[in-house]
Amino acid sequence: MEFHENMDSKTTGKFKISSLLSPERIFLVTDKPAKAEVIRRLTQAVCSGENNLEASDVLAQVLKREEGISTTLDTGLSIPHARLEELDSFKAALAVLPQGIEEPSGPHLEIKAMFLFLSPARQAFFQQHLQILSALAEVFKPDFIAELSMCKTVQEIAAKLADE
Amino acid sequence: MTPSPTSSDNKSPLRVKKVIVLTTAMLTFIPFWKAAAIVLCDFGSSAFYAGGIAMRAFGPAFPWFILAVMLFAGVLLAVYIESCSLFVRGGVYKVVRDGLGDNSAKFAASAMAFDFLLTGPISAVTAGHYLSGLINSFLVQFGAGFLIPEKGFSVLFGLLVTAYFWRQNVKGIEESSGKSAKIIAFSLAVCFLLAIWAFITMALRGVQMPPMTLQFTPEALGWLKDLDWHKTIGALGMMIAFGHSVLALSGLETLSQVYREIEYPKPQNLKKAAILIFVFAMVFTGGLTFLSALIIPQDLIAGKYNENLLSGLAMSMAGPNFLKLIMQTLVVVAGVVMLSGAVNTALIGSNALLNRVAEDGILTDWFRKIHRKYGTTYHIINIVAFCQAVVIILSRGNVYLLGEAYAFGVIWCFVLETGSIIMLRFKRAAEKRDFMFPLNIKYENYYIPVGMMLVFLFLLGVALVNLFTKQISTVSGVCFTIFLFTVFKISERLNAKKANTMFEEGYRERMNTAAASDLQAVVQEIEKPNRVLVAVKDPDNLYHLEDVLSTVNVEDTEVIVLYAKPVENVLLRQDMRSNAADERELFTQVIFLAEKYGVPVVPVMVQSNDAFYAMVQVSAATDAKEIVMGVSGRHGSNAQMERVVMAFSALKDAELKHPVTARILWEGREVSYRFNR
Repeated sequence: MEFHENMDSKTTGKFKISSLLSPERIFLVTDKPAKAEVIRRLTQAVCSGENNLEASDVLAQVLKREEGISTTLDTGLSIPHARLEELDSFKAALAVLPQGIEEPSGPHLEIKAMFLFLSPARQAFFQQHLQILSALAEVFKPDFIAELSMCKTVQEIAAKLADE
Repeated sequence: MTPSPTSSDNKSPLRVKKVIVLTTAMLTFIPFWKAAAIVLCDFGSSAFYAGGIAMRAFGPAFPWFILAVMLFAGVLLAVYIESCSLFVRGGVYKVVRDGLGDNSAKFAASAMAFDFLLTGPISAVTAGHYLSGLINSFLVQFGAGFLIPEKGFSVLFGLLVTAYFWRQNVKGIEESSGKSAKIIAFSLAVCFLLAIWAFITMALRGVQMPPMTLQFTPEALGWLKDLDWHKTIGALGMMIAFGHSVLALSGLETLSQVYREIEYPKPQNLKKAAILIFVFAMVFTGGLTFLSALIIPQDLIAGKYNENLLSGLAMSMAGPNFLKLIMQTLVVVAGVVMLSGAVNTALIGSNALLNRVAEDGILTDWFRKIHRKYGTTYHIINIVAFCQAVVIILSRGNVYLLGEAYAFGVIWCFVLETGSIIMLRFKRAAEKRDFMFPLNIKYENYYIPVGMMLVFLFLLGVALVNLFTKQISTVSGVCFTIFLFTVFKISERLNAKKANTMFEEGYRERMNTAAASDLQAVVQEIEKPNRVLVAVKDPDNLYHLEDVLSTVNVEDTEVIVLYAKPVENVLLRQDMRSNAADERELFTQVIFLAEKYGVPVVPVMVQSNDAFYAMVQVSAATDAKEIVMGVSGRHGSNAQMERVVMAFSALKDAELKHPVTARILWEGREVSYRFNR
């Protein structure tokens, strides 16, 4: 799913996260894989059907970004992301992790939702990129993540996101 | 509503662990008139003795020369404005070190120490003379039949005043600038009354202008007394007379100490302060000395009122005796408080000077030993106060003797300061100056300071002439300077290893740290309606802070400077403790910039394992409308902004009261993001 809306920061509150996600890009991960593995799965999901994206290249870029300032929040949300030259629209995938997985850089942090997020690299898109990050951090608070973790199916998660 | 940091779950590992509020005496800034008042309490006090000393040296032409010296003070104030605009921290000593090198700086420090060592005694003893003169006037008025010995009383009073301010300085009790302003206002009122009455007296008695003829005493010609040059070369005589009057400039150097305290906009306020100082000095010192010469009979100036000239002015007016006594009382009150203020300034100034020298590693640690209870460098204060007390006793209450010795430090400090500013025109040619002393010739990238060179040559001429004419000054000044210079040299060698370390570390601002219970304790300190939070980390990367300080509206905006010191259990990619800056070095630089722009800041340090979380928490707690950061060379501005946006939004649990803008600034560029309601 693509996100084309030309937002300014005033519209951030109206931005629907669900507009970035289709059910095939939402995962309910019931086991406890490593963080890098979850990122790999989400990357593959985002790149499937995208002719101009090579999953391994995208994964490398996302992991490279992960080496910098942490993208994990203490709310339990992790937002691995990358800004790609090949893109001219936003792309995303979500993994809900009811069991929680450990944030490797901080033993006290547990990731319960991971939102992989790819943006166009052009500077013109940077404000929108920030607005989406802001919206994600604002919506995925511990209570909402807990609600998502209670869901039994991807469709339930999608429905919850649509309601948010 | 802003995010509520303190109400958020404290179970989270990403939270501020400890809040520390840093305070320093140097973070309050004063308006130009208060700065002028501080300088005038020292500089203006010379009005009480300069005229009498000059009269004794070269006769009735003295008011012309005191007036000329006050006019020249205007020229020196312009030199000081250029010096201050370079913002070399540490006053004359540091300016000379930058301009002329280490040895000249040591010489300047020695000359200045000599100046301070005598400023205290001459002021304290003069105050004693004014007071004893007043007591004697009352004793005569009431027919007591005896008089108190003025010189003995002056020594006793001088010792008491010195002891009082020694104790105050050891305790670290600073006199407020407000008190200085009141003293100056009172002195001005007294000056006004004196002037009005003097004009009435002159209207009644008629007036004769003082002669321009110079009548040097053999003592005043020193080693030149057997030569007739000064009689044939008029200019030389004028230089000798000027040299005997130059002590009226004492205290002017206080301006470079006060400059760091002047509020925003600093350069403009400095100029206003300088104009105020100049006008006051002309009217108070120049004007009252001139009126004294017009009204007091010459024999009384040379005799009874030589050491309390302005009391003589009050007592020589036309009118009933009781009114004159009231006037004399007012003069004495003004004189005693101003002169006592100068005693205090001398102690503060010498302590600050020797601290600067010690910070350069030139003095051993013993000098910098901090008082266990009061936190002051009490060894330096003790030594200075002790030396001043010895000087007072040795003077036996003779103000002329003190004045003769005094001029050495004053004039050589001006020579070195002016020489340094000239050198800095070439050494720091590229540096922007808010003010340049007039008369410059542009040559390639340099502004050749022709005007200042003329001033320098004149000062050097006076200093050299003084070397030959003022024997007491030359002998005592040279001996003391050589002694202190040697002490500096030996001490520097003994301290060589430590000095190198200290030189590398640089100056550190003395700061008090107070642990606050939570962030709300910080908020209570903030009064202004708008707040800007500036996050700092690297003392060499404060472009963003400088940008804020140079543009902020100080009337309604508080600048909160935050350093989030990393602690254990970090979440980022490395042990953040290794990245922790030396907070004293960091905040010293922060305070340096705050002083440079005259903008008060609230320095806060928090301990946290995530600087971004700490930043948004403090921003929320303080209700800041802007969060300003410098760019990280390691991560880049985009990654930084992403993290701020995530952290802020994750913390936000309700509508914002107002939009908040996050900005990352670096040379000529900016990345910003606005959080709307």
